[in-house]
Amino acid sequence: MQSLLPHLERITGPRWVRHRRAELATYAMDGLPTRESPPAAVVMPGTREEVIAIVRELHRAGVPWVARGAGTGLSGGAVADPAAVMITLTRLNRILSIDPARRRAVVEPGAVNARLSEAALPFGLAYAPDPSSQAACTLGGNVAENAGGPHCLKYGVTANHITELEVVLPDGSTARLGSRGGEAWGPDLVGLFVGSEGMFGIAVEITTRLVPLPRAVRTSLADFGSIRAASEAVSAIIASGIVPAALEMMDQVCVRAVEASIYAAGYPTDAAAVLLVELDGSEEAVVGDGAVVDNLLAQHGARSITSASSPAERARLWQGRKKAFGAMGRLAPDLAVQDAVVPRSALPAVLDAVGAIGRRHELVVSNVFHAGDGNLHPNISFDRRDAQLAARVHQASGEIMEACVAAGGSITGEHGVGSDKRDYMPLIFDAATLDAMCAVRRVFDPLERANPGKVLPIHACREWRAGGVA
Amino acid sequence: MSDAVLTRLRALLGSAGVEREADGLPRATPDSSESFAQVCHVASEEGWRIRLEGQGTWLPADAPAELALSTRALDQVVSVSPADLVATVQAGAPLDEVRRRLADQGMWLALDPPGRPDRSIGSILATATAGPLRYGFGSVRDHVLGCAVVTGDGRIVRAGGRVVKNVAGYDVTKLHVGGFGGFGVITEVHLRLRALPRADVTFTALGPRDRLAAAARAIGAASLSPSALEMFSPALAAEAEWMLAARLTGTDSAVVGEARRLSATGDVTWQQLRADRSAAFWGLTARAALAGPITLRLGVLPDGLEETIDLVGHDLDEGLVSAGGMGGLRWTGTTSVERLRSLRRAMAAREIPMTIERAPWEVRREIGHFGAYREGVGQLVSKLREAFDPKGALQVALEGSG
Amino acid sequence: MTGEERSNSGRTAVGSGASEPADSHDRFPTAVRQLSDRSSTAVPPLPDPLAPCVHCGFCLPACPTYLATGDESDSPRGRIVLMRALALGELPPTDDALAEHLDACLGCRGCEPVCPSGVQYGRGLEIARARLAEVRGLTPLARIVLGVFRRAWLWRPAFTAARWLRGTGLFGVVAGEGRMGFAAGMVAATTRHCEARSDEAIGSPRHPIASSAAPWPPRNAGRPTVLLFRGCVMDTLFTHVHDATRRTLEINGYDVVEADGQVCCGALHDHAGDVAAAKALAERNVRALADRADYVVVDSAGCGALLKDYGHLLGTEAAAAFGAKVRDVSELLAAAGPVPPGPLDLDVVYDAPCHLQHAQGVHAEPLRVLSAIPGLRLRMLPGSDKCCGSAGIYSLLKPDMARAVLDMKIAEIAAALPRPAYVTTGNPGCLMQIGAGLRAAGVPIHVVHPVELLDWAYLNSE
Repeated sequence: MQSLLPHLERITGPRWVRHRRAELATYAMDGLPTRESPPAAVVMPGTREEVIAIVRELHRAGVPWVARGAGTGLSGGAVADPAAVMITLTRLNRILSIDPARRRAVVEPGAVNARLSEAALPFGLAYAPDPSSQAACTLGGNVAENAGGPHCLKYGVTANHITELEVVLPDGSTARLGSRGGEAWGPDLVGLFVGSEGMFGIAVEITTRLVPLPRAVRTSLADFGSIRAASEAVSAIIASGIVPAALEMMDQVCVRAVEASIYAAGYPTDAAAVLLVELDGSEEAVVGDGAVVDNLLAQHGARSITSASSPAERARLWQGRKKAFGAMGRLAPDLAVQDAVVPRSALPAVLDAVGAIGRRHELVVSNVFHAGDGNLHPNISFDRRDAQLAARVHQASGEIMEACVAAGGSITGEHGVGSDKRDYMPLIFDAATLDAMCAVRRVFDPLERANPGKVLPIHACREWRAGGVA
Repeated sequence: MSDAVLTRLRALLGSAGVEREADGLPRATPDSSESFAQVCHVASEEGWRIRLEGQGTWLPADAPAELALSTRALDQVVSVSPADLVATVQAGAPLDEVRRRLADQGMWLALDPPGRPDRSIGSILATATAGPLRYGFGSVRDHVLGCAVVTGDGRIVRAGGRVVKNVAGYDVTKLHVGGFGGFGVITEVHLRLRALPRADVTFTALGPRDRLAAAARAIGAASLSPSALEMFSPALAAEAEWMLAARLTGTDSAVVGEARRLSATGDVTWQQLRADRSAAFWGLTARAALAGPITLRLGVLPDGLEETIDLVGHDLDEGLVSAGGMGGLRWTGTTSVERLRSLRRAMAAREIPMTIERAPWEVRREIGHFGAYREGVGQLVSKLREAFDPKGALQVALEGSG
Repeated sequence: MTGEERSNSGRTAVGSGASEPADSHDRFPTAVRQLSDRSSTAVPPLPDPLAPCVHCGFCLPACPTYLATGDESDSPRGRIVLMRALALGELPPTDDALAEHLDACLGCRGCEPVCPSGVQYGRGLEIARARLAEVRGLTPLARIVLGVFRRAWLWRPAFTAARWLRGTGLFGVVAGEGRMGFAAGMVAATTRHCEARSDEAIGSPRHPIASSAAPWPPRNAGRPTVLLFRGCVMDTLFTHVHDATRRTLEINGYDVVEADGQVCCGALHDHAGDVAAAKALAERNVRALADRADYVVVDSAGCGALLKDYGHLLGTEAAAAFGAKVRDVSELLAAAGPVPPGPLDLDVVYDAPCHLQHAQGVHAEPLRVLSAIPGLRLRMLPGSDKCCGSAGIYSLLKPDMARAVLDMKIAEIAAALPRPAYVTTGNPGCLMQIGAGLRAAGVPIHVVHPVELLDWAYLNSE
């Protein structure tokens, strides 16, 4: 490694190669505070050419690497083991162009999600996927994780909004995937690359769609006396055929944490659960659907429904939801943020099961999630310095995953597998499918040097490697 | 040879699962993913080439092979979950049958691909042939939550899942949607559904091409949200002029509001189609794609439509053209391999991909569905094919002979 | 140490549902605490103000140094990792890299208002810097600069000379790029402008502290009395701002009084980790200023932030009572209306001083004061909540990072359309830093304190 540093410094200049112990310690975690491992070095390229040169150099030296954006991911995907070099892409943060007529933007991977929507705003456009970390997270990270967000219920996730990528493959060669218009240009390698969690290469230029801002928006908050009533209301809204722009749920623990924070949104703290329902579209659609939704909420026992009348009021209602994860730091120093998806009709039963698991292990479990997608985020507050408590959190997390899978769901809806969910992969994929994923990975990275140790369980790849039938 | 294949297949599938094509080729019609996989495994081991078929209504079944493998016995709608807006369907199920089953429960698959209404779901996915509804509901891949795929050497890969949001593992589904079967055969799919819209009305306008194209762009710029917005050439529309058609779906009040705004946008005169004619209109325009032996699509952006239509008119013979309001152009007609090559070069220079959706084998073999890829992609595709079909059993011409 | 000991009070976030907790030392809900008690694991102590950090990274885009470098080590979240490591002994205070990145923090506390968990970053930084200063002392340059500010007989002649030279226009001529050019630009930026139709009311600077003959008791019984904190830089290079403060407060119904014996507020020392010096200065100020008026008014946000916090610094009730009386000038003016002034036909952008917005939580008041001026076209500078890179003596100690941070601010100002005539901000360090940056970049926009704008508007009232 010591012999590698001068090579890296020649590429970026010494200012942008970090290798002292204290500096590496700051890169030991991403947004998942339970996986901690400092990288061997951190290199911060400032141009696309430097990225290519760095990857080539690492390929030549046979050193594994991990690409990282802002490090807000919640699955430990941007954590490197001590033998790997971290390539931090935050300096490549330019919005290269915005084409309002074609509704496209071209950005560098370190560009921040919210900055893109801000830049598109004067044209009446926005970048639709809006993960809660959008003020900090990078579009390169969004591409790697196929990030979601509340408004993905109607507008789709990152994969639906990326049309073209220029990628640097792990051998330092480059490939141009997709096309400006969005037609795949061959097999859909953009679709394959998005969500590959940094294991197929580094996207150095990203072309995104921009969507027009809706003509009308209506945001409502409904509060319920029980979680079950709220989740039944969610199922009823989805079954009605109305597609809200967003449909979010927060339970009491969460509401109280938010209301105690500077992001207090005026949520009723005595409610067992609150639903945030946003409708958008034409004026008539919003009014018409709004009446139907209000009716369904009332039928399912909403105690009160308040609709935001001004943009400021809307922003305040959303603020509490978007900052909910961080606000949980008020409860305990650590938070195990879970992410799973269930069929929406199974929400009431699964939420009951999650509550029971929490009680059985005597844990503080809170729920704040994208109810309309069935994308759960059961969060467990704890202190990881208490080993026994941490062990119970681990156990409960596994049981929650199993309950979601048993209901026909998936182990992650938007946070990715990373290192956190890797061991759950066999719960939803059989050996042949995991083998196929290994094979796809080796197409992009035959030497398995890009973000090693993530996504795929270690023993998954044997049969495929031998070339035999599973 | 063909008798030996026939015998072996009958041993695997029983005599009901094997027949002969018109040209004498043995055709296997397995009725499960597992038996499908067995056939592929044996063929791959024996070095037999496989010709893939669905319901036989889209791509001609003419690839040279030792056996034909059809999904037509995999025609079940496995499950429909209205509360989750999800259905699981076998790949050979005909689209019109699926539509009927869904409509019975108030559900809708918002796909209106070119071709006959009984096209198999698998064929629509494998060729990623979306129709005018892509304007409002996205391309084919946006409707697919997961799928089971049988690889060329007979493994079953189950990618994605049955939930609407899912980032577990690599999104291998994407490789198969639009992969033309080159990476395996889709045998079962999980589809994302919508509620059957309460109101569904269609407006058409006739006029000079450039004026209609400008109107389509004005509709986009005004943030109107039709579910479909498609422009048809005179021959396709069977009119004297070009036609722009807009389809509005949703609640009654929402559709009325959109219709009012639509009529105020662009320098065109809209006519509302009678309700009973609307479905027939979209069915006929979809069928128009079968009017010639070759159908291709161009991934053009809306601002390049007129120039691209001119180039297509110049490079190819007379054909039928439909173009989407958000871009994307489909051409059907008769032409030569040379002219297709020349058009593809012209398009590539403008960074517009050209995909052959449908053509006789001799055309596919020469120029492939995709032809030359962009920088760095070719080696990835060939390695992916090797991973999913190591013995090269699947007779699919992705790139052509160059 | 067990969870029980860590969570020493009964106050919990869960169940209270109340507003911002005043006491951050207890963040554990009852359930977690009870569970922790069953554990036999020894748990080392954390510096409490940082305990709520869950590493979410929402602070990153609020940090000027992170925005300048993109480096996690220069971000609040990264520095929290370093401060924790320092507190836990995982990294020694002598670690070069640790010190370098903690020193590179502007202390602007822009990360605090965006933190959903309520991490008290500023408190954590104070503890860490004190620990560093304890072990390695101050850097030679910091020692010299801070030493000067501790002694009025040193800084007063220096700044007075600077003011005299400023009058010659020399600084304006040599201001520009390079370290000396930038320093000249900082002094040039303190030059008084006036946009009022008539400037007759302006006299020569009054009331230097030494000759102050403050009227006491108050002249007008019934009007609230306010004691003007004069400071050091403000009292030499920004006497025109003090004058504007006095005049605008008088118009708004306050009696402004003066007091001898005040010294530098100590903020520069406190931020640099020289807590002993800061305490000594604070004690002298409390002695000199306590119980002399209804309020102590400050027109320098940096000074105001520390004066308000003397209770925490000194840990005495007298200091806390003193801190409770301190107000930024904009708070008093906003509370009084302000009395409607005359018009000013100007384009102005407002940039919030970190020590006003983040440290004091005063945001709406300056805007309310400025909005009262008819004809003034006031806009928020995009990113107005971001530090300009001045940060006390930071710009002297870390010139490269300070310039990188300033460049982002100057780029925003230069991009503002229509082009403003003035950038207004209520802190001397920001005025000098931004003013010098604009000069160095050749952008013909001046800097001005908000009370000066109001003062000009009052000159236009008749």
